[in-house]
Amino acid sequence: MNFLVASIESLGAKVTGWFTVGYDIFAFLFRSLLLSLDRATWNRATYDVVIKQVYFTAVQILPVFLGYALVISWLIITIILTTARDFGLTAFASEMTIRVLVLELLPFLTALFIALRSGSAINTEVALMKVNNELDALAHCKVPPMQFEFLPRLIGGVISVITLAGLAGLLALLLSYLSIYGLSMAGFDAFTQILAKVFNFKILFGLITKCALFGLAVTLIPITAGLETPKKLFMVPVSVLRGMMRVFFAIVAIEVVSLALKYI
Amino acid sequence: MKTLHFKVGLFAATTLLFGAIFVLYILYARGFFEDTYRLQLAASTADGVAPGVPLVFSGIEIGRVSTLGLNDNGGIVIHAELLARNAKWLKENSTFTLDKPIVGGAKIRIDSPDLKAPALPENSTMLLLTSDVTKEIPILVERVKAILANVEHLTRKDGEVNGTLANLETMTGRMTGEYGMLEGILGSPEKARGVTDSLDKTRALITKLDSLALKMDGMAAKADTWLFAPDGVALQTRDALAQVKLMLADAQSSLKKADALMTNAVAISADVKEGTQDFAALRTEIDDAVRKANALVNEINKKWPFARDPEVKLP
Repeated sequence: MNFLVASIESLGAKVTGWFTVGYDIFAFLFRSLLLSLDRATWNRATYDVVIKQVYFTAVQILPVFLGYALVISWLIITIILTTARDFGLTAFASEMTIRVLVLELLPFLTALFIALRSGSAINTEVALMKVNNELDALAHCKVPPMQFEFLPRLIGGVISVITLAGLAGLLALLLSYLSIYGLSMAGFDAFTQILAKVFNFKILFGLITKCALFGLAVTLIPITAGLETPKKLFMVPVSVLRGMMRVFFAIVAIEVVSLALKYI
Repeated sequence: MKTLHFKVGLFAATTLLFGAIFVLYILYARGFFEDTYRLQLAASTADGVAPGVPLVFSGIEIGRVSTLGLNDNGGIVIHAELLARNAKWLKENSTFTLDKPIVGGAKIRIDSPDLKAPALPENSTMLLLTSDVTKEIPILVERVKAILANVEHLTRKDGEVNGTLANLETMTGRMTGEYGMLEGILGSPEKARGVTDSLDKTRALITKLDSLALKMDGMAAKADTWLFAPDGVALQTRDALAQVKLMLADAQSSLKKADALMTNAVAISADVKEGTQDFAALRTEIDDAVRKANALVNEINKKWPFARDPEVKLP
């Protein structure tokens, strides 16, 4: 009987924990949104930090990222085309390539890429700042961390995921055109027709929203995870671990919801 | 710091530029900058047609079904929309067919046999034909089944085709023998040899009859001298000569018959099918002719005892 009570208790604690985490995340998001709407936030210093964040999250990794997107896209396009030819379904190959790569896989991979590279770094940095009382020190020096540390990271994350996923998507479109029709304008009309069929404005809007949510997830969740670190140095790795797990679940959840909205 | 700003600015500008180009391209692709061309299709049933079903010309999608509904007479009216740039493929003699393939969705196929025909005016109503493959499959399967049963019946172990093939094999086997085709048709080398022998003998007989006729000519000349001799042989032999005339007519008809038989014999080798049927008749007729010719010669011998070689040998 005690065992049952204990397990129910632990389950209740876990659920409460999830709710607390969820509440913290959304409360933080709400506060940052409010702050971003405040005119006083947008001074020269904030812009500078935002630009720096965009530089570190997107521009610095651009060559590596585009190379990686190129290889993945080329592989998947080749696989889809070969399979489609084997089954005599070439007519559907280009649409399939666009739907799989541009709408789903590339944004997802971009989010993972940024989560692994920048998300984990942000999580560690915020956790260390918290443990070392740097955040309190900053607040004391009239440098509110929300304005100069967190909000720029959120904005940088959103911009980075949208731009990187967009560039990778355009690259994949170009690559799929070249793979299907080669270096000629012969298939331009047919390809245009397929693009028009796939990209209506709902889809385009949904894609941008999805990328924005990915960008938020890969920065917001690590920041809140870092902020809730107890002030003990050995808790920093645990904080990063938890934060990255949450990021992963959030990315998958966003992808699943977007797929469900699109196809169900 | 300056280079950092420059790089971010370049990145942002490039991305924005690409994004803007892409959005403009999508707007162009979706026909935002051009007019929409509308078209009505009349169909007997809306089965398989739904908003979004593509209009396909030469395998390339050029438009879509926008809505469909009923008219006042209960007929189906399908409204389709095309971009103005694609409307040039629609001609007055274009046909619209609803294709429902086994794999893939339904589509409306447009065939324009003559691209020089006058263009189809906007908002015109065309007839939508249906080619439903799935409906034809059961009928097709039944027919194929019947054909397969027939083929199976023909090719069974003791079936006609096998028998014919076996017969053909024996026949071609015989044809490779000494007497070739003739052996193939008559069945054995002995029979074939019989035919060739008969032909040889007939030829010999004809030569003999030929020389006989020459002799007869000579005899006629001799008879002439006798006839007009002063001792009056003519008178004595008038009856006998009348008889000879009859015999000559008989011999002539016999020769004609032999001639016809010869033709027949030639026809045997040419038209072997009839030849096999006539073979027995031919043999008896040749026999008959030879017998008659022998009788004639004997008869003449009796009347003209100076003949040297009266015998005609029977084959």
